[in-house]
Amino acid sequence: MDVMSSSLQQQRIVVDQLRREASIARQPVTESCAQMIKYITEHEQEDYLLTGFSSQKVNPFREKSSCTVL
Amino acid sequence: MADCAPTPNASDKMASLLKEAENLKIKLEEERAKLNDINLWTVAERLEPIAFVNIKPRKVLKGHQAKVLCTDWSPDKRHIISSSQDGRLIIWDAFTTNKEHFITMPTTWIMACAYSPSGNFVACGGLDNKVTVYPITSDDEMAAKKRTVGTHTSYMSCCIYPNSDQQILTGSGDSTCALWDVESGQLLQSFHGHSGDVMAIDLAPNETGNTFVSGSCDRMAFIWDMRSGHVVQSFEGHQSDVNTVKFHPSGDAIATGSDDSSCRLFDMRADREVAVFAKESIIFGINSVDFSVSGRLLFAGYNDYTVNLWDTLKSERICLLYGHENKVSCVQVSPDGTALSTGSWDYTIRVWA
Repeated sequence: MDVMSSSLQQQRIVVDQLRREASIARQPVTESCAQMIKYITEHEQEDYLLTGFSSQKVNPFREKSSCTVL
Repeated sequence: MADCAPTPNASDKMASLLKEAENLKIKLEEERAKLNDINLWTVAERLEPIAFVNIKPRKVLKGHQAKVLCTDWSPDKRHIISSSQDGRLIIWDAFTTNKEHFITMPTTWIMACAYSPSGNFVACGGLDNKVTVYPITSDDEMAAKKRTVGTHTSYMSCCIYPNSDQQILTGSGDSTCALWDVESGQLLQSFHGHSGDVMAIDLAPNETGNTFVSGSCDRMAFIWDMRSGHVVQSFEGHQSDVNTVKFHPSGDAIATGSDDSSCRLFDMRADREVAVFAKESIIFGINSVDFSVSGRLLFAGYNDYTVNLWDTLKSERICLLYGHENKVSCVQVSPDGTALSTGSWDYTIRVWA
């Protein structure tokens, strides 16, 4: 393939890609936001890094001994 | 192919393709703008702010003799594998900080490592351009039973097991991603589209394992269909290399981190950027991001040695984690969400909980 036909080929791939992207269904950002807030709210209780442990005893990474060096 | 032969009207065809590409880009922009009816942080204003996050440094894992480049939590939620510039992999018991296995590779700069879903194998690679799999057994056997699964034409920057222990997905400095069959070493699918080094990949959490995201030095993040090998969606906005990408746990959005010192959130169903995590005072790049299990917190590791915690919904920084004495190269929340691991160029890995 010479330079022209290979760059034509390349450009076809680019256009096909853009056609696919242009044809996808989109939803308004309002809906996306509502869905994301809903998901997060539903899972907040399982999120130990966010809400902490009910007691440090259940934290597997806490220091075992109470005599830790501060 | 007949239509590829140079013909007098090849330049006409080229012109019409360029024109169509231009029009499609304009149409895409218009469509995306049309649906941008509100900001995420505006919607999130009515939510309670995150009052207090009680995350403390719990463990420091010391043993590498050079920069820590990558870490991965075991599916058992207790062990961590790390890879380093020193050419070694170490498997740690994160509860006790004990080192359980060492693997020395015939290369330096092991840029990526990943546990298999069963937890019985690790995949790794880097400047050797290869992805190598080791079974986790006693140390002598590990090196003897290694298997080279795939080879790129440039460094391997990231790897992940998409579905089972049988397949590995890799990203490379050769601008491609590749899906390999572990047993045969066969290339099952290659993913062409990026025009710069691929720096990071992540799997969609909620589907059948057929979608993944990649971030690249071409400043783009691509969503791929693993079966067809096609880009499904592309996201731009970053002004510099995209070093890290991660799916939101909902599977509907991705977070990116870049050398342009911002993280961004792109929503897949709205097909656009919905949040930017940046501040005037932050001028350093981001190497790695991860979400807490609910997706409310976004952890980001920076070149200024800090880890920043962002409120995903309000786009506000909640706090910083100080401790590392050099660039933070990798951050990862443990599979059960109880802890955060951070790896750094200061040769250490830290566990926060």
